[in-house]
Amino acid sequence: MAIPEVDLDICTGCGDCVEFCSPGIVGLVNDKATIVSPEDCNYCTDCETFCSLGAIRCPFEIILKTEIP
Amino acid sequence: MIGFKREAVLEKVMSILSLADFLHSIPYFRALGSEEIKRTVKETLEHSFAKGEVLFLEGEPCRGLYIVKTGWIRIFKSSPEGREQVLLTAGEGTTFNDVPVFDGGPNPASASALEPSTVYIIPRETLLSLVADSPVARSIIELFAARLRHLTTVVEDLSFRSVVSRLAKMLLDLAVAEGGRSPIPRLTQDEMATIVGSVRDVVGRALKALEKTNAIKIEGQHILVTDPEKLKEMGK
Repeated sequence: MAIPEVDLDICTGCGDCVEFCSPGIVGLVNDKATIVSPEDCNYCTDCETFCSLGAIRCPFEIILKTEIP
Repeated sequence: MIGFKREAVLEKVMSILSLADFLHSIPYFRALGSEEIKRTVKETLEHSFAKGEVLFLEGEPCRGLYIVKTGWIRIFKSSPEGREQVLLTAGEGTTFNDVPVFDGGPNPASASALEPSTVYIIPRETLLSLVADSPVARSIIELFAARLRHLTTVVEDLSFRSVVSRLAKMLLDLAVAEGGRSPIPRLTQDEMATIVGSVRDVVGRALKALEKTNAIKIEGQHILVTDPEKLKEMGK
C-alpha cells in the first residue's frame, strides 16, 4: 500500500500534518514528518492539503482497469 | 478593341505586382527571393466574402494559408452546444490557418467574415515547396504546428468544458492499462489541477463526483478507470 511521500529537504518539522492527520499515522521523527503507521494510512491526502510548504506529496497512479472487479 | 485588351493586361500586371509587394510585406515571405515570390503569386487565389459568410469550417481539409487582403475575419472554435470562442481576429495583412498547412491535419478552427472581406489563399503545396530544400526547417515547423494545434484544444477545453469534464478527459488520456507501458503516470491532485486549469479542492470534489458515476474507482493511490466509455462520454 502506497503512503504519502515526504520531501525531507522541504519539511521544516512544523507539525501541521501531525495535527491534521488521524492520530498516530503521521508523526515527527528527528523533527521531520514521517508516516509512522503506514498500515493505518487510507491515503485521504489531508496531510498533503495541510502542508503549507508542499513537502508532502500524494501522487495517484491512473490505471485503465481491463477487468471490472 | 486593342486599347481595351492592353488596359486589361496592364491592369493584370499591376495587380500581380501589387500582390507581389503585398506578399513581400507579410512576415512569412519577407525573406523570399523574387523567383519564389513570382512562383507564389502565380499560385495564389483571391476570394471575397460577405459579412457573416463562412470561409471554412473546423474539421474540413485545409485549402492553404489565408491572408487578409481587406476586411476582418474571425477565427473561432465552436462547442457542440453552439457556444463560440474566438481565437483570433485577423485584419489586413494577417495570416491564419497556418497550423494545418504545416502539420497536414484538418482545419483546427472555423473562420467567418466580420465585414465584407477579401482574402488571398496560398495552396498548401505551394507553401510546402518553399521549405522543401530544408528538411530540418520543415520538421521544426511541423513540430510547432502540432504544438499550436494542441494549444487550440487546450483553449477549447478551458472554454467549453466543466472541470469534471476536463478531468474525465485527462484521466482517459493518461490512463495506462495494467501491465501496459511504464512508467504509469503519477499525479498529485495539485498537478491534475494545473493540467485541467483548476485548483486542488475542486479537483478533489470532481474526482469524488466521477467516482459516484462508477466511471472510476479510487483505491488508495490508484485511480482505476473502470468504465472508459462512460468516462469518454463525460469528457465531451
